Order: sequence, then C-alpha cells, then structure tokens
Amino acid sequence: MKLWARMLWALLSGPGGRRGGIPCLAFSSWQSHPPLAGLLSPIGLVSHWTRVFEKRGIPEARESSEYIVAHVLGAKTFQNLKPVLWTQPLTPQQLQCIQVLCSRRLQRVPVQYILGEWDFRGLSLKMVPPVFIPRPETEELVEWVLEEVAQRPNVVEAQGGPLILEVGCGSGAISLSLLSQLPQSQVIAVDKEEAAINLTYENAQRLRLQNRIQIIPFDVTSVGSWTHLLPWSPMDLIVSNPPYVFHHDMEQLAPEIRSYEDPVALDGGEEGMDIITRILTLAPQFLKDSGSIFLEVEPRHPELVSNWLQSHPDLCLNLVAIRRDFCGRPRFLHVQRSGP
Amino acid sequence: RAVGAARRPLSCSSPPLEELFARGGPLRTFLERQAGSEAQLRVQGPELAAVTKLLSEKERELRETEHLLHDENEDLRKLAENEIILCQKEITQLKHQIICLLVPSEETDESDLILEVTAGVGGQEAMLFTSEMFDMYQQYAAFKRWNFETLEYFPSEIGGLRHASASIGGSEAYKHMKFEGGVHRVQRVPKTEKQGRIHTSTMTVAILPQPTEINLVINPKDLRIDTKRASGAGGQHVNTTDSAVRIVHLPTGVVSECQQERSQLKNREMAMKKLRAKLYNMHLEEETSKRYSARKIQVGTKGRSEKIRTYNFPQNRVTDHRINKSLHGLETFMQGDYLLDELIQSLKDYADYEYLLEIISKKA
Repeated sequence: MKLWARMLWALLSGPGGRRGGIPCLAFSSWQSHPPLAGLLSPIGLVSHWTRVFEKRGIPEARESSEYIVAHVLGAKTFQNLKPVLWTQPLTPQQLQCIQVLCSRRLQRVPVQYILGEWDFRGLSLKMVPPVFIPRPETEELVEWVLEEVAQRPNVVEAQGGPLILEVGCGSGAISLSLLSQLPQSQVIAVDKEEAAINLTYENAQRLRLQNRIQIIPFDVTSVGSWTHLLPWSPMDLIVSNPPYVFHHDMEQLAPEIRSYEDPVALDGGEEGMDIITRILTLAPQFLKDSGSIFLEVEPRHPELVSNWLQSHPDLCLNLVAIRRDFCGRPRFLHVQRSGP
Repeated sequence: RAVGAARRPLSCSSPPLEELFARGGPLRTFLERQAGSEAQLRVQGPELAAVTKLLSEKERELRETEHLLHDENEDLRKLAENEIILCQKEITQLKHQIICLLVPSEETDESDLILEVTAGVGGQEAMLFTSEMFDMYQQYAAFKRWNFETLEYFPSEIGGLRHASASIGGSEAYKHMKFEGGVHRVQRVPKTEKQGRIHTSTMTVAILPQPTEINLVINPKDLRIDTKRASGAGGQHVNTTDSAVRIVHLPTGVVSECQQERSQLKNREMAMKKLRAKLYNMHLEEETSKRYSARKIQVGTKGRSEKIRTYNFPQNRVTDHRINKSLHGLETFMQGDYLLDELIQSLKDYADYEYLLEIISKKA
C-alpha cells in the first residue's frame, strides 16, 4: 500500500512536485467514486495530463496524453482502445510508465521519440532521436512515386525493377514504404549520419525488407565519394526529402524540432538549396536516360529550382511537374533527365 | 407460448418452401410456362428448365415410393421409408436451386460495405449494448473470414459505445450483412440499474455498400479536406501528431471523418472510403426506393428506422420481427457465429421468397 500511495502522490503532484488545483480536484473525485475509476482509468489519466500539459504550454496537450496512455495500453491511438479499457484501473507499472513518458513530454520531447515509434503510410517505424521524424507530407511524395511507377509498367516488368536511390533516408520511411508497395523493386538508401543508417537498417529488418535494400553511409556534399555508388548505376529513380529549411528559419522552429531533431536533416543552407543542388548535380551520373528525380521541397523552391536548372543546361535535367501537398502548397518536384 | 418456442428453437422453417411450390400454385404455373417457351429458355438459360425437369421427376419418384409404404412386406416398407427421406432431401435442394436461378444477384451483392452502429434510446445502457453489437459483427466477420477494419470509434465514459463504423470486405459480404440494417432493441436489467428493473433500449445499424472505382466517380474539386496542418509552413518546419482527417463533399454536404490511425494518409484513405460509401448509398436509395416498396424485408434507409430485432435477455431469446423467427441462446448468438449466420440465412431465404412472389405476380 505504501508503494501505491507514493505512486499516486507522484502522479498527482507531477514531476515538478507542484501542488495546485489539479491534485485537490483529483482527490475529491477519488473520494466520490469509490473504485478510483475517475482518476486511475485511461480516461481519467488523459484528462489529468491534458490539464497538466495545457498549464505548462505544451502543444497538442490532448493528443500527446492520448497517444501516451494508448501506447502504454498497447494501442496505437486512443480511438483504438477497447471501450472496456477506458474505465478500468491501470496497474502500478502502467501508471509508472505513463508518469515517466509524460514527464518527457513536459521537456518538449516529440511524441514520436517518446513512444519510440510512429506510423508512415501503412508501416510502423521505430523512431530514435535525433533521426528526422517523417512528416505527413512525405506520405504524398511516396504516393506520387508509386503513381508514376504504375504508369510505366513496361519498365517494371522488363527488369523486375524499378531500381531506386534514396538520398538522406533518415528512419527509412520513404525507402521502406516503396519497397513494401513494389515487390519487385530494389532500393539503395544513403545517409551521411550513422544514427540514420542504423535506424533504417533496424526498420528494414523489423519489416523483413532487408533483402532488397542496400544501406550505405554516403555524404552527397563530400567531393568524389560518390564513385562507390557507381556499381549500382544506372538507377530508374532518385527520391529524396532533403533538408530544405532556409538557414535563418531554423531558429523559429518549435523546441520539439530545434532541440531534438538532427539539424543536418533540416538545415538546407541560406536558401534551403544546398543539398537539393548537390543531388541535382550528381543525379546525371546515376540516372538512366529519362530517369526521374522526385523531391520534397518548400513552397519557395519550385521557382528557385527551375531557375537553377535553366542555368545548368549541361545537366540535361528538366523540371517536368510540380505537385501541391494536402494543404495546397507547392511541395513536390518531378525532375526528369533528357537524353545523354 | 414462450415455453413452446423454447423447446424448438430452430423449428420455424423459413421460407415456406411448400407454400411456394404448392401444386397448381403460381410458381408451378410460372415454371411450366417457362419450360414451354423457347424465348424464356434462352433468357433464363437451359439450367432452369433442366432443374425443373429433375424436380418433377423426383416428385413422381416420391409419389411412387409412397405407395410402397402400404406394402405387406416389412423390409420393403423400411426400404421405402429411407428412400422417401432421401427423395425429400433432394427435392428441397432442387427447390432451393430453382429459387437461386430465379432470383438475380444484385449489383451490390459482391460489394464490400461500411457498417455503422449508433446508440439509440436508453442512455448508457444503449451504449453498452451498441458496444456488444459492434463486437458481435466483428466476430461474425472473423467467422465468415471477412476482413474487418474499424474506421471510427466513439466510446462512452463507462465502457459503452456511442457510435462506430467499420469497413467489411470479403466474399458476398454485402449479400449477408444487408439484412442487419435497422433498429435493434435490447431488453434486460442494465449493469447500471440498482433496483433490478428491466429496461428497453435501442441501437441502430446501417449497412452501406462500398462502390467500386467505376460505379462512383467523385470529382476531387468537390472535396474539402481538413487537417490540423492547414496553417503554418508545413513540411519539415512543423512536427504535429494530430493526424485526424475530415472530408466534406461540397455539393451534398456529406461529411466523413477519421482519427483512427497515426498516419494521416491512412486516415484520409479510411475517411474517403466512408465518404464514397455514403454517397453511393444516397445514389442507390434513389434508384431502389420504388423496387423494395411493399416488402417486409427492407434494405436501405427505409429499413433503417424499422425495429427489426429484439434481444430479450431475461428470456434468453432473440426475435427477428420481419420473419417472426425466434432463436434461443442469446450469449451464443452474440458471439456472432453460426446462430447469427443461420438467422441471416433465413432472412435471405425469406427475401428471395418475397422477391419470387413479386416477379410471379407481375408475370402472371
């Protein structure tokens, strides 16, 4: 009982040991509902932590507490929890776990890192700081690539392809969802960070896709190192969600991003173009004739990229299509190689 | 009367096959005319004529065998008895086969579907019952080896369910599930009731067939898709975890939401699935509202407001009011396996029977 009491006290007072209106309120509701259902049930915990998060100015207070409570109970979302669990008291271990995870959220740790996993399209991927957390827009980038591949069935059938290069694979989200949708495809995934290489490898194994992916440490900005990718050339497609945040915008990013995600996955230099132009410069070495590059960029980039390509006619690359994301912002580019 | 029913839980043989195939009845006349007409033969196919012929042969055989029941030889009488049982079995099968040949399958029968459950009258108790019903259909889908995917789930605070929907797909899913649409009534002492009084509560089931890509085309310009990311820079600049999606079909105002998944794209796909089913259903209602008019078994919105079934816990009995059929063993029934399947089969047979009466009376 003593352990219980201590746990309950820790839960009520929060990690900072604050004592305000919340514990008192919770205490009175405990007395009026004998089986502690109001407080120690999932629903009680969600409202408790929502209030705590709101008070401390944590963004997405309700979503954060719902995800954490659901996760500890083995569900992906609160909506996925069986209704009988909503009001059942949790075990001391579960309460302890929620307590620990919620106090990390108070430090502005992104929910995806706290849970250690997140979903991208149909896949559940392991998430480890500081590897970049995939954003929902990128699900649409993959969608576009899949549509294009579907429209060129002859390429796929002829060589059991396509062969795809991903630059900056991070957690492996793009590569692995392409592999899972294209059973004949092969992917070369590169990243310059060891943490990303390891995480992509681990996610590939978890999804049993490791046989069709080559994961290679590679820095597109270093001169000459690209030669060891040549054995796999020529590729059908290059896909990338390169760092594209303008350097001076970096300071304005939310603490979740600024303090926990690797800045090299975000900071694209002065105009966010540093890595984009490196990819475009190297692409002709690896791409087949009329091979394609699919990029996620920010809304100012379509024009910048178009201008840059016009001033580099020797690359024989053309911006053939721009697509908007679900919020209507120009977000994705399709660049195609024309002739040798 | 209730006791009598309890002794023979599955006795009521629906549909009344005998009545339908009565000698000199309209179906007989109809079948005879079919057999005589070359043009009809081509339309219905030679199979119907062949089965009809087989049926009359078997029936003649039965009549002839029946004479032997009065024979002096005991062995012969026993033999005849066995022969008659076999004969009757075959005749029933042939009659079912004829019904199958005459009742055309509907455009939507092979479709996947969206199941929607909503708590009705009765507060928390109605929500508890709704939750049990949702579980029952999930188990039924597993029993039929269909695929079941929850699209939305809005629980109540004490473990009940206000509203939920699911996508169900598999062989002849809609053909079976379409009879489940309507108001379901429960009679029992709720868990929340301290005085031990029996309450009556309701919940509603809606079954919407899922259109294929071809039979429903939606113009993307008619859709407004709301997400929590509508403001700000998006992309790498933001990290949000709220993946809820809401889609509005502007011309009709039909709204569909999903927050079941952590992936926003998945939520969008599921919301879209539901929206398509809702729009397709509206379209089908217009088409079929005339066709189903006079029948006891209604499919679609017309049937949705109808009280179709009562789950009486004190008497351990479920009664379907459309065909006046009662089954015993509520707990087993709620497990969503063979008992529910049996009731659905009866409803299907009865619906076929009603349909047959309709076409016969039209052609007579």
